[in-house]
Amino acid sequence: MTEAAFSQPASKASLSEQVLDKLLSGRGIWPAVPAIIVLSVVAVIPFVILLSLGFSDIVVSRGAIVSQTFSLSHLTNALTDPLYWTTFQRSLTLAINTTVLCLLFGYPVAYLFLIGGKWTRRLILILTIAPLLTSGIVRTYAWLVILGGRGVVNSTLMSLGLIDQPLRIMNTHWAVLIGMVQIHLPVMILPLIAVMSRHEGGLFEASANLGASRLGTLRTVILPLSAPGIGTGAALVFTLSYTTFVVPQLLGGGNYLNAATMIYEQVVFSLEWSKGSVSSLILMVTCLIVLVVIAMITNLFTRWTKGRDA
Amino acid sequence: MMQEKADLMYGSDIAAPVLSIGAVSKRFGSITVLQDCSLDVAEGEIVTLLGASGCGKTTLLRCIAGFWDAEQGAIEIDGRNVSGMPVNRRPVGVVFQSYALFPHLTVARNVGYGLRMRGVSRSEIEARVAEALDTVSLAEFADRYPAQLSGGQQQRVAVARVLVLQPRVLLLDEPFSALDAKLRGAMQVELRQLIKRLGLTAIFVTHDQEEALTMSDRIAVMRAGQIEQVAAPDTVFDHPSTAYVADFIGTSNFWDAEAGNGTVALPDGQTAQTDLSGKVQVMTRPHNLRVAPEGTSPWRGTVSFHRTVGALIEYHVDMPDGTTIQVAAMRQERASPVQAGAAVSLSVIDPSYCAVYPI
Repeated sequence: MTEAAFSQPASKASLSEQVLDKLLSGRGIWPAVPAIIVLSVVAVIPFVILLSLGFSDIVVSRGAIVSQTFSLSHLTNALTDPLYWTTFQRSLTLAINTTVLCLLFGYPVAYLFLIGGKWTRRLILILTIAPLLTSGIVRTYAWLVILGGRGVVNSTLMSLGLIDQPLRIMNTHWAVLIGMVQIHLPVMILPLIAVMSRHEGGLFEASANLGASRLGTLRTVILPLSAPGIGTGAALVFTLSYTTFVVPQLLGGGNYLNAATMIYEQVVFSLEWSKGSVSSLILMVTCLIVLVVIAMITNLFTRWTKGRDA
Repeated sequence: MMQEKADLMYGSDIAAPVLSIGAVSKRFGSITVLQDCSLDVAEGEIVTLLGASGCGKTTLLRCIAGFWDAEQGAIEIDGRNVSGMPVNRRPVGVVFQSYALFPHLTVARNVGYGLRMRGVSRSEIEARVAEALDTVSLAEFADRYPAQLSGGQQQRVAVARVLVLQPRVLLLDEPFSALDAKLRGAMQVELRQLIKRLGLTAIFVTHDQEEALTMSDRIAVMRAGQIEQVAAPDTVFDHPSTAYVADFIGTSNFWDAEAGNGTVALPDGQTAQTDLSGKVQVMTRPHNLRVAPEGTSPWRGTVSFHRTVGALIEYHVDMPDGTTIQVAAMRQERASPVQAGAAVSLSVIDPSYCAVYPI
């Protein structure tokens, strides 16, 4: 009887109210419905179109596709073209180098955050987040000023008498690497900090009390517990730097070809949409493969450290 | 005086103290958190640092462990000054309030952690870990992770993890606060018996007086960075050295009086001994008072409330001056308690258990 009395209002509710109620209930697939709709429109449908372009010969007239026939030729062409291999290899090397360097530079910052006091922590957070408030393009342009022929680095080195001629840093892969590491460093530091600060400081006091040196604590407690943060940070930095376009384009001076700049040229300059589609597909698949590898390494690392503090 | 009495009882003047805290002071910026704290702890003794939050008890514990350094004074273990000695070299084991178990290590690896850090051989680690887990009856949980254990089991792992290192001083920082009330009582008795069985010297920090009374050989009551009284639990309860201690531990009744010629007159006509003269404060515990029919003593009041707590009856007696005196009487099943509204007289059972403090 009571049940009937309680269920009554629902039957009176309008359809929109019922749908809203389902969405807010947090049960089943309902809470995911808005995300599914948005993702279908902005990701799944464009992706399917992209796929179809890559696997077909198309005839474009006045900016519109007038005919489309299935073909594997673009994929086979890409896979047999040495330019593709060198370009993707360059992208991969750049992304891996960036990820490793970000980890090497980022981990000590996260460690400082962990052991630091209130003000150290605030300062680190501010310095980490502040660069994210400006656009990547602006930050990349800043490197032009620093690394250019008459930039800060060269003029300092020359005035110190260490070099006679300005070093050619701009428009080399070194400039790209430096820019990449700086741009992506916050993306490495933030997950590290998030994961590390999940564990209270008592753990590190406990390990010291049990006889561990600072290095011992880092090796046996902090490093294993921050493994998920390392994995997340590495995955994010890798994905961003493997697919990045702005930094190689600006700091590489237009002659640094990586996957993204190649796709840009194929689509925007040569108007070869099918080629661009296939390149994007290769980029995506290889990226996914590396992400799976990173996840596996993180997993192995976590398991390894569990039995390793001897 | 109380201190000497306790020392005689526990023999800390015969053997050298294991832990000796000498006039330790500690400041954070302009705030003094510890001021001239001195305390000697004898071999095998359990001393509780008891006080309200912010009294400095945890600070003192952290200074002993080495997480913080005292600015003044010395902390000696077995006669050796440990000030400036790094945390990981001190012969001190800490059981943390949150236990601080390593979540990525099994129970056995948690317990063996300190031994591994000391480079003990694998076979010896195995044997000592097994022994330690056996001591805290957790042998069958060796391969579990801390998250798979109950609060009480986690606490035992935390204890085993320091026991296995055979520390000279065991420090326990409110180890029961994460446990539910029912488990707490049982764990207190169990832990005290374990520490006693192993003959460890322990410092135990709590804000819970019952815990302190259960666990300790001696209690050091702290207030605003200073140690107010150090004595056996009974002594602290029966003869609190200051009004603060009397108020902090147990229920207490206070009233003002005039003292002189070595005595102070009690409101029921009896007298209590005191060295003080002039205006004083007199304190006695509820169980040292008796509710009697009106007119049996000049100390009159009206019962405003009574309740039965197991074997005891608690009375609140309102005085004409507006104060309330609490009385606790053993319950006699046949006699019904004095009802609220009844006019009664109060009398002190033993005047020597009335404490007198300066105002």
